[in-house]
Amino acid sequence: MAVSFVVNGEERRSAADQMTPLVDVLRDEFFLTGAKAACREGACGACTVLLDGNPVVSCLVPVGMLEGREVRTVEALAPTEELSPVQQAMEEHDVVQCGMCFPGIVMVLTSFLAECPQAGPDEIKTALVGNICRCTGYERVVDAAVALAQRR
Amino acid sequence: MTLADASNVTMNLPRRDARDKLLGRTRYTVDRKHPGMLHAALRRSDIASARIIKVDITDASRMPGVRAIALAADAPGMHGIGIADHPLFARDAIRFHGEPIAAVAADTQAQAQAAAAAIVVETEPLPAVLSMADALAPDAPLVHPEWRSYQVLVEGGVRGGNVAWEATVIRGDTEAAFARDDVVVVESCFRVGRQNHVSLEPRAVVASYEDGRYHIETSTQVPWTVRAMTAKLLGVPAAQVRVTVPPVGGGFGQKFDCTLEPYAAILARKTGRPVRLVYSRQEEMLTCLCRENAEIKIRSAVTKNGEIVGREAVVLMDCGAYGGEQIFLTTMTAHTLGGNYRLGSVKLASRAVYTNTPPNGAFRACNGVYNTFALERHTDEICQKIGMDPLEFRRRNVLGDGDIGATGQVFEGDVLGPMLDRMKRWRETAPSRKSLAARRLYGRATVVGTWFIFVGPSTATINLNADGSATVITAGVEIGSGTMVQALPQIVAYELGLHPDQVVVRSADTDAAGFDLGVGGGRTTVSIGAASRAAAEDVRRKLLAVASEMLQTPPDRLKLASGRVEIAGKEGSGTSIAAVVQRAHEVIGPVVGSGAFTKPGVTAMPGCAAGHFIDALDLPVFAVHDCEVAVDPDTGHVEILSYKVVQDVGRALNPRAIHSQIQGGVTQGLGYALHEELTIGQDGCIRQNSLETYRVPLALDTVPVEIDLYEGAPSIGPLGAKGAGEVPILNVPAAVGCAVANAIGRRVQQTPLTPPRVLGLLLGREPDVDLPHIGDDWWDNVLMKRPS
Ligand code: FES
Ligand code: FES
Repeated sequence: MAVSFVVNGEERRSAADQMTPLVDVLRDEFFLTGAKAACREGACGACTVLLDGNPVVSCLVPVGMLEGREVRTVEALAPTEELSPVQQAMEEHDVVQCGMCFPGIVMVLTSFLAECPQAGPDEIKTALVGNICRCTGYERVVDAAVALAQRR
Repeated sequence: MTLADASNVTMNLPRRDARDKLLGRTRYTVDRKHPGMLHAALRRSDIASARIIKVDITDASRMPGVRAIALAADAPGMHGIGIADHPLFARDAIRFHGEPIAAVAADTQAQAQAAAAAIVVETEPLPAVLSMADALAPDAPLVHPEWRSYQVLVEGGVRGGNVAWEATVIRGDTEAAFARDDVVVVESCFRVGRQNHVSLEPRAVVASYEDGRYHIETSTQVPWTVRAMTAKLLGVPAAQVRVTVPPVGGGFGQKFDCTLEPYAAILARKTGRPVRLVYSRQEEMLTCLCRENAEIKIRSAVTKNGEIVGREAVVLMDCGAYGGEQIFLTTMTAHTLGGNYRLGSVKLASRAVYTNTPPNGAFRACNGVYNTFALERHTDEICQKIGMDPLEFRRRNVLGDGDIGATGQVFEGDVLGPMLDRMKRWRETAPSRKSLAARRLYGRATVVGTWFIFVGPSTATINLNADGSATVITAGVEIGSGTMVQALPQIVAYELGLHPDQVVVRSADTDAAGFDLGVGGGRTTVSIGAASRAAAEDVRRKLLAVASEMLQTPPDRLKLASGRVEIAGKEGSGTSIAAVVQRAHEVIGPVVGSGAFTKPGVTAMPGCAAGHFIDALDLPVFAVHDCEVAVDPDTGHVEILSYKVVQDVGRALNPRAIHSQIQGGVTQGLGYALHEELTIGQDGCIRQNSLETYRVPLALDTVPVEIDLYEGAPSIGPLGAKGAGEVPILNVPAAVGCAVANAIGRRVQQTPLTPPRVLGLLLGREPDVDLPHIGDDWWDNVLMKRPS
């Protein structure tokens, strides 16, 4: 039985097995490879997408649960190549290294800063607790997010 | 953001790859897909040591979607570093839990996995040696009973039984030094566990076979190694293998070897279709080429006023079931554990030991991180014994201009001393965070570290285009450190008077670029940078010859700046570089330059070092770290209160990029110092099979790293630069270990310093590390014979 749901504003159908993790449907069926399946066990956050506006690790979401729901992936943040404010802050602070973690980090921060636009460093670190970055040591990620929050 | 003047090589050039990475558009190897692509899975052993009786693929090959199965017979060759001891698939013997036995290609990943599981492997269990102590026991079973028959790739290492390789240093008479009556003898033992890289992009490859050649797209740091090793394993000429490298999602040394590429290559050839193989996180946890576990015994004879007259040490490095990188890394002990300090006489033994455990590999500042931990903790134990201030002791003994290192190489320039002075002043002027410790135990330590950049061969070609842009072709890989997107364009632009944005850097392709040793050890900026600079000089010479004629001015009066050739002193009187290139098309043809670089060949003292791949290292890099900690006496939890780094960078081409390397490297080191460790179970399987059980630093663990870049040390690197990405991790367990020891007043002999371990130390319940399998007489620990 196919599942219908909205991905980045478009109605999509997937005929994948109901238990297929959303990240595989996004990457293999829809060719949205922004979300990374870096651990497939919910521990790294690299596969984070927004489900009905809330960040979820898409490796743990079976596609069968998605009927009628709305998914936003990193590809939707900047459809016209104009970076979103979070992405812009990361670029300005020269935060990116290998980059594998950033699609997830950007999604988490986007949703978190929408809720807590004035967050301070401790809150931002707490928000990022589900995202592993092996390259940057997080310091500059947090600095960039704090700078963005202060600008608001 | 405004850019610094392009005529000045030092600038905080932003990364050109950041935007796509933030947009989720970057296509790493794991994101690559081709029409008709198959998926591969490996069948691995679930036993640590066994004889293979039968591998039966009858049922598996009839399963849905299965297109091909590869077995040992498909890969006749053996590979290795120094010794060819490693087959691609287990043949007759299984030597570690997780060893590949077969590879399956199928239409889907699930089908490939199902078929791999359905392969019948009949085995007869054999006794396994799971620790180095077991492996070195007198009657230990041999991991490689046939070790004598292996092809030796590099001469010089002493081998025997479970000792895969032994490197030694003997300089001066330590026996006499230890026998002196005016010395104190201090002996220390240390043990460290394995560290997993946890690159967020796992090892991944897509291989295809077209027109009689293999094309391997892979997430690697070493395209030329993959080319050579794949060919050797498959028994085909190396020219039949092409390796290209998409952006790499983290390496840290894990991808410094050929690993999964040959499986995909064989399957691609068998099926005629592209084959993708990506290791799962669990496979990465269980078989990643970790930083090896190691055991170190070190003793020193030191005079009352702190002169180190003799030092002896034995370092055991667990290479796992196959020698791999550890064979090479035995070389490093001379330069890491044997580094930092002036030594009157020295004996070092560095041994790679076979065990029936997953093979280890390279990890950022390989060998150096734990040896620096051991050396600096030992140094503090010496200071305590002779009653000398640790900073004072270090200031007196660190290697300076004209001093000789462990293997007798002569050091150039005073670097560590002034760096220590700088840290001392910084400590005195910056307020201590001691008050933050409140009722917890407070400790502080300043430690030094010596790393050496492996330089070695690199080459570059530069095409100067008729639009005034330049294309740089090298086999360098962008693994995240920024070298290929920042340092290289900066160096080439500087040389050619361009803006870095006008420098295109081609991604690695062994069909396009010449040989390169690979990205690792901090060598990229140095070696590829130097080769690119040489290529740019070649281009510059040709360009100026043509311009000289156009402008009727001798070349030595011409300058390249801002995309123009100008006559010196008469700005605006010249012409654009593009116009000169267009003119060149008519008179000499397109402007192309090439450059090559290799090690300059610093020499050691003859006869000091045996079994070393490199007797003397060409480019030392130094670091001084200072750390303040608070230890909770009730829980053993260690909090880092402050962390300061003075790092020798030669010349900082891009300070902002170097800072981010230091922040990331220190954090990775804090993980290793405080909580990262893989352990081996009774069955020989690594116990931590997921990111739930192996804890890496998270955002809440972030420590603000304070950084001071030390410039001006001698360097053979381009424009005086040194690699900056490797070194930041080097001193971290040392700094934390020494600070914790100072806080709790106990010997710290192991990492990681997890709360239970620290609490155990505080309560006197943590057993001493005494390493009985390392004999007290140095000569009892080496295969080489004691001179009679
Ligand atoms: S892949 Fe989903 S959390 Fe790691
Ligand atoms: S930038 Fe590499 S994992 Fe975050």
